[in-house]
Amino acid sequence: MLEIKGLKKKFDDLEVLKGIDLSVKKGDVISILGSSGSGKTTLLRCLNFLTMADEGEMIFDDVHYDLARMSKKEIFDIRKKTAFVFQNYALFINKTALENVTEGLIVARKMDKKEAITLAKEALDRVGLSDRYDYYPRQLSGGQQQRVAIARAMVYRPEIIYFDEPTSSLDPELIGEVLSVMRDLAQSGMTMIVVTHEMNFAKNVSSKVIFMEGGKIVEEGTAKEIFEEAKEERTRRFLASYYDRI
Amino acid sequence: MNDRLIEILTSSFFEILIQGLKVTIPLTIISFAIALVIALLVAIVQVANIKVAKQVARFYVWIIRGTPLIVQLFIVFFGLPSLGIVIDAFPSAIIVFSINTGAYASETIRAAIEAVPNSQFEAGYCVGMNYVQIMYRIILPQAMRTAFPPLSNSLIGLVKDTSLAASITVVDMFLVAQRVAAQTYETFALYMEVALVYLIFCTVLTKLQTVMEKRLRMD
Repeated sequence: MLEIKGLKKKFDDLEVLKGIDLSVKKGDVISILGSSGSGKTTLLRCLNFLTMADEGEMIFDDVHYDLARMSKKEIFDIRKKTAFVFQNYALFINKTALENVTEGLIVARKMDKKEAITLAKEALDRVGLSDRYDYYPRQLSGGQQQRVAIARAMVYRPEIIYFDEPTSSLDPELIGEVLSVMRDLAQSGMTMIVVTHEMNFAKNVSSKVIFMEGGKIVEEGTAKEIFEEAKEERTRRFLASYYDRI
Repeated sequence: MNDRLIEILTSSFFEILIQGLKVTIPLTIISFAIALVIALLVAIVQVANIKVAKQVARFYVWIIRGTPLIVQLFIVFFGLPSLGIVIDAFPSAIIVFSINTGAYASETIRAAIEAVPNSQFEAGYCVGMNYVQIMYRIILPQAMRTAFPPLSNSLIGLVKDTSLAASITVVDMFLVAQRVAAQTYETFALYMEVALVYLIFCTVLTKLQTVMEKRLRMD
């Protein structure tokens, strides 16, 4: 469904991504692991053109794109098939939970308002927020905000949802509610790419795990292959550092 | 206080107040409304980085902020006629106050737009909206809430600045006070009185600002 070849990105002289190849099939749940500065967030942002890659190729639904030369229209077309969940939620703070979900449907996709509201309520119900339609982001907890953000992402029925460290800004006791929504979404067959530090989520939910370091993919495989039979020393060290924590 | 003074103050009070309602208030409201439109445009062309317009905007702000308001009034009302452009006092005042306040307000609005986190833009793009839609529906509503207190400041400043219009023959409440003072020689009492009327207007605006700020909150 989505394929990336040779994606590179530099910030000034700093080479952040040194040629990434990635293949995503429908229904995949891919977790990207790696320490800070490994380039995993930049990779995700490049996939949705929030950061522009310097070179590389993208094949999305059999259409080829040259990442160095993307037109506004091409970017627009691809974004119609994708959704993005941010680390800091990035809800529209002047809109209620419901409006956050309907906004893109009504404004960008020109959907009928009533229909949009019905869909948005369904989405909010699915993430357990049926009693928070009219709350503004500032009236919601971090976990609730992130669940609104997930509802906002899934309401478009995108082909793929990108999650950029969706639980990293949350208090520990709020992480569970967001992860459980994501697990439900994964089990419903949604294709997801998740940059995360949640090892248990990566281990138990993903169909594929990628470990990145220094702007490269060091190792990829099934959760079992990465967590139990990692071939690369660096992968094992990274995972061990998590298990060593008390 | 003698009866004569009380008589002068009471009769002039209503004269001043009525002139305030007839001239000062309309002058303030019309100028401020135009100033906001100018300010919004000038701020947006800068934030959106529209090439030539951005340079023009910076030039405009530079000129207006770098010259005194009263000189600007004199240029338009006393200066332009020598170039064959004659504009009546009241419209001259409107033009100068709009352009002057617009320059300051544009900086307020620009700063408020830039204070909106970039992630609001990114989130907008990710749900398929375009720049104009995001600006109009997401960024500006948030920016205007931030800009509201400093813009209220500009408005209150403008109420008092309109007294400068008296110097280009606009018969506002300050000029009425000057006339009564000249006729009666009660300068102190009259200028204190007109100051009180300005204070009343500004107090009303301050109260209004507090009420509006409460209504604009999003939590």
